[in-house]
Amino acid sequence: MTQATKDTTTYPTPVSAIRSDGKEKVMGTGRYTADLTLTGQLYAAFRYADHPHARLLRVDTTKAKALPGVVAVVTHADVPEVLYGGMVQDRYLFAKDTVRFEGDIIAGVAATTEAIARSAAALIEVEYEVLPAITDFEAAMNADSPLVHPGWAEYSRNDDVGSTGNTMGYSTIVKGDADAAMAGADVVVKGRYVTDPVQGVPIEPRAVLAQWSGDKVTVWTSTQVPYAARSGVALTMGIPESNVRVIVPLLGGGFGAKCDFHFEGHVAALARASRRPVKLVFSRKEEFFAVGHRREGMVLEFETGAKKDGTLVSRRARLVLDKGAYCGEGGFFAQMAAMHACGPYKIENIHVASFLNYSNNQPSSSIRAPTAPQVCWALEQHMDALASALGMDPVDLRRKTLVDEGDEGPTRQVFDRVGLKETLERAVELIGYGKELPDDEAIGVASGWWPCFAVPSGAYVKMNPDGTGTIVTGAQENGSGAVMAMPQFVAEELGMRAEDFSILYQDTDAAPWDMGSSGSQTTFNSVRAVLDATADVRNQLIAAAADLLEAAPEDLELVSGNVQVKGTPTKNVAIATLTAGGTFHGRGSGPLPDSPPVQAEGCVGRLGNESFLAPQFFTHAVRVKVDRDTGVVRVLQVAAGHDSGRILNPTGAAGQIYGGIVMGIGQAISEGTMLDDVGRQRNPGLLDYKLVTCSDAPQMDIAWVEIDTPNAGPRGSKGIGEPPCVPTAGAVANAIAKVIGQPVTHLPMTPERVWAQANTSNGAQS
Amino acid sequence: MKTETTLNVNGLAYEVTIDAHATLSKTVRETIGLTGTKEGCDDSECGACMMLIDGKPVNSCSYFTLQAAGHAITTVEGLSDGDELSPLQTSFLTCGGVQCGFCTPGMLISATAFLAENPDPTEDQVRIALSGNLCRCTGYDGIVKAVLDAAKA
Repeated sequence: MTQATKDTTTYPTPVSAIRSDGKEKVMGTGRYTADLTLTGQLYAAFRYADHPHARLLRVDTTKAKALPGVVAVVTHADVPEVLYGGMVQDRYLFAKDTVRFEGDIIAGVAATTEAIARSAAALIEVEYEVLPAITDFEAAMNADSPLVHPGWAEYSRNDDVGSTGNTMGYSTIVKGDADAAMAGADVVVKGRYVTDPVQGVPIEPRAVLAQWSGDKVTVWTSTQVPYAARSGVALTMGIPESNVRVIVPLLGGGFGAKCDFHFEGHVAALARASRRPVKLVFSRKEEFFAVGHRREGMVLEFETGAKKDGTLVSRRARLVLDKGAYCGEGGFFAQMAAMHACGPYKIENIHVASFLNYSNNQPSSSIRAPTAPQVCWALEQHMDALASALGMDPVDLRRKTLVDEGDEGPTRQVFDRVGLKETLERAVELIGYGKELPDDEAIGVASGWWPCFAVPSGAYVKMNPDGTGTIVTGAQENGSGAVMAMPQFVAEELGMRAEDFSILYQDTDAAPWDMGSSGSQTTFNSVRAVLDATADVRNQLIAAAADLLEAAPEDLELVSGNVQVKGTPTKNVAIATLTAGGTFHGRGSGPLPDSPPVQAEGCVGRLGNESFLAPQFFTHAVRVKVDRDTGVVRVLQVAAGHDSGRILNPTGAAGQIYGGIVMGIGQAISEGTMLDDVGRQRNPGLLDYKLVTCSDAPQMDIAWVEIDTPNAGPRGSKGIGEPPCVPTAGAVANAIAKVIGQPVTHLPMTPERVWAQANTSNGAQS
Repeated sequence: MKTETTLNVNGLAYEVTIDAHATLSKTVRETIGLTGTKEGCDDSECGACMMLIDGKPVNSCSYFTLQAAGHAITTVEGLSDGDELSPLQTSFLTCGGVQCGFCTPGMLISATAFLAENPDPTEDQVRIALSGNLCRCTGYDGIVKAVLDAAKA
């Protein structure tokens, strides 16, 4: 069931079009990277670190190279000496002198079969000096802790990150005087929460295929960010970006896990060394432990002071995030987490300190709404604890404290029109909050927010002689359908049909730079560029028609495949007639919306996320059933209220919500990476790392709150991909706490943890 | 050790020379070249590799090629009638059952086998029948709707 609340601005009627890549996907004819084969291709395998933290004393590839069928073995000595990374450049392709987590790569092998490549990788002799593994990311910031990167100060970095020793990033949100206000509060509650790391788990394990042609390399890869992959290959191979072409075949999901450059460099190096095409396909186990992308573990401490009527007067928080071994593209996490620790609440005085610490664990980087689900889970439980201390209903506390039009955010960003409170009202209405339930069931509620990201993008729209057209975009389709929706928008602007347009995408040689599939920003930025290019080509068509029809351009309109005179539709020329006789191609980027102004002078570690552009707001209400004897939680129903601006494709948008909720339920009760005492994953497989299955998934209802927000994206839209997995775990937690009478403060809330809490009178945590 | 055998895939006979231990998914994908079947775990956990053997769904990543010799093998490429989609393939598209598409071949195989056994299922029966196929994109909602929709057709 879906419901909608709408503003009055008029846009074209939303269309749930069938995705243009759909037919090849259901017929099995579409090609993903692992489906590709090049003549003479070799197979790649990696030799990973045998110890999560160790110094390399000797790497001997002699036996591997001697194995029949092995064509090339590559180590650090065989590639340019280049450090790479996002805000901190701290990583080599192949370990130079130290390995820092179990997925660090010491060598790569290219061989005639996959089996030979893996055998050869095992034959590489590596001698180590084992170093103490720093797995406790909170203790890592102690003065006496060994350093994950002893040479950290020498790295190139964004100076605003705020690195010191093992703390790679440090950020604060400071507003008013939190200490003084806390001292004057009527009620103060405190809470400490811990989260385990979580994985993205796209069903397609990643694959990379590279082929050199002279000094140029073409890389087919399952990435969400082809342009970042291109620049990474260029940097690590020591060649210009113009000599690197990255093509993404169909992409089998990403969820952030396939953001950032990485393995494209290793495979390009192997292909160069072997002078043959080389293909890498990850096993499921590698997809767990070797990738530099997981949702990080956190330790979160909150303290909130309120007046008796619920007014929030002060928030203090200390957040410690596990960065793992390398920065990757997750350098901004400390600040993003700090903003979520404030939440979309009215609070006059705030002091949040957020530490992003190196460890010898797997690197953390973006997974769907990075940092938000864990922080929201903790904060929303903390808010329920405050409601309890105040003797207020948790929904009533949120009604009083969530932001609305005219309110100030944590950095004094003033909110324009926002639909947050309506997402709350609609969610509790949809689920029947307050109704009588069996004593093993309860309803929990959680709210949150997430920004839109304004970044450059560019597109071309070119008309073909037969009157059809091709959209050339740098956008990356991850499955959401955001790219697939482009022909509909272009067709509407040109008075044509969606099926008249094809899309050329996922090829870095074809389209201008694009950020790729990350930050829920494909429609926000890439469609903005496409619409700008469409306006360009529309003007060209009108100019040509104006000459032919001897009419003023402003008197012309594009309708049903024609350019016609307004009010006199019989005076027209077919677009196909124009295109048969001329060249029409538009280009565009569109102006970037400005971020809202803030007053954040007291904050450090400012990386741009202190201002939330066109924020998306949401509330989930969740009904759960808890078996007190076993601790097993079943999520029965989720009602999701979302202000993602105008909904442009109802089926596609609902698909994002459903998928996000189910991912959120996994994060809540079953998904968590377990580490051994040196940071190795204990459950790198789908049998022990439990995804939610079809029979576990609950009834899900959606309420769209379609508020027109200034600085929103095309046609009043905001992002939608990341938010739906943010509040679910918090709502589940609050429902569980209602049933068992105590909060479960360790995520995921597994049966063991729920049972222990339900059966512990003093509230001690497992 | 290499072995010669004949596989009947989607009504066509393929003579293949394979390692005796080669899995059905590898042989169909790499030797025969029908790549519609996907491999997501190589361990019977995700269901992306499902094929029909005489109409029964199996995880082809954990099935020896030689076990399938002499039987009718159907992959996702064999579900449509030429360019004409099956009702189930169509409903996957109209109901939002396809996002990234990587689980789709396995889902379609699973659901095809299920509907052949149970042409008029309840929603719960559909959910249980598909619980061996993991999807990370859709939250299963569009997939379940698609199967129920195809059953009605």
